[in-house]
Amino acid sequence: MVSPRLMSCIKCLIAALVIAIAAGVAFIYSGLYPVGADDRHTPLTYWALETLRERSVDRASDGIEVPADLDTSERLLAGGADYNDMCAGCHLKPGKAESDFTLGLNPAPPNLTKQHQSEDDLESQSRHRFWVIKHGIKASGMPAWGAHHDDERIWDMVAFLRRLPELSPEQYQILTARGDDDANHH
Amino acid sequence: MTRKTLLWLTALPALLLALSVQAHEPSEPMEGDEKPNCSKMKDMDHSEMDMDDPVMQAMMEKCKHHMDENDDGSKEPQHKHSESEGDAKRKSTHDH
Repeated sequence: MVSPRLMSCIKCLIAALVIAIAAGVAFIYSGLYPVGADDRHTPLTYWALETLRERSVDRASDGIEVPADLDTSERLLAGGADYNDMCAGCHLKPGKAESDFTLGLNPAPPNLTKQHQSEDDLESQSRHRFWVIKHGIKASGMPAWGAHHDDERIWDMVAFLRRLPELSPEQYQILTARGDDDANHH
Repeated sequence: MTRKTLLWLTALPALLLALSVQAHEPSEPMEGDEKPNCSKMKDMDHSEMDMDDPVMQAMMEKCKHHMDENDDGSKEPQHKHSESEGDAKRKSTHDH
């Protein structure tokens, strides 16, 4: 048998929950939250968004099999041209430190020409990148390229990303330029 | 206004609209036909180049065609556009 004191406590908790939900909905409808991209998030919001993203991608990409032949010249050439066309505007290229997108997007897209120290091992990183390129990330500006690009084409880009931080601007230009002879790439 | 004129007036804008949609097709996000600047390879330090490195192999592969074109251009300009890379390889094999 539940004691009257416990019942009272449960009622209080339910009432508090209802009030919190009502307050949240009222805040959403109030229009008080600043949605401008030039209004920076608080450190707490950044932490929440980044943790949410990392944990979600980690769970979703678990089990993806990384091809053994990623480090080949064919994949570098195919992935490099696509990277230059589809990604370099936001994720930069050797010799370029910022773009309109890196300055204007919030959160700013990661600079993929830099080797990030905190990243996991190469296999795990490749799985993450494949998943993110294929599925995109909600409300971040990162599109889901999987709609029009098959898995092999996405793995080509992952292969190129592995070597991107080592490339000089000259090497990057040669590897990514399509030229006339690449016109039938697709 | 004749029926034929009306047909042109409706068909032409429709065609232009269709072409503009095709130009923005997300499955073909190509920026243009920028050519690889292979002359930069000549300035690189060849002693530090690792020919087993896929990056180096990719660069060689990318520039091979352009260098072949330049060589052909300086030796046999009349064959520059008439002979594909595959044909050239077959020819060199047959020569031996």
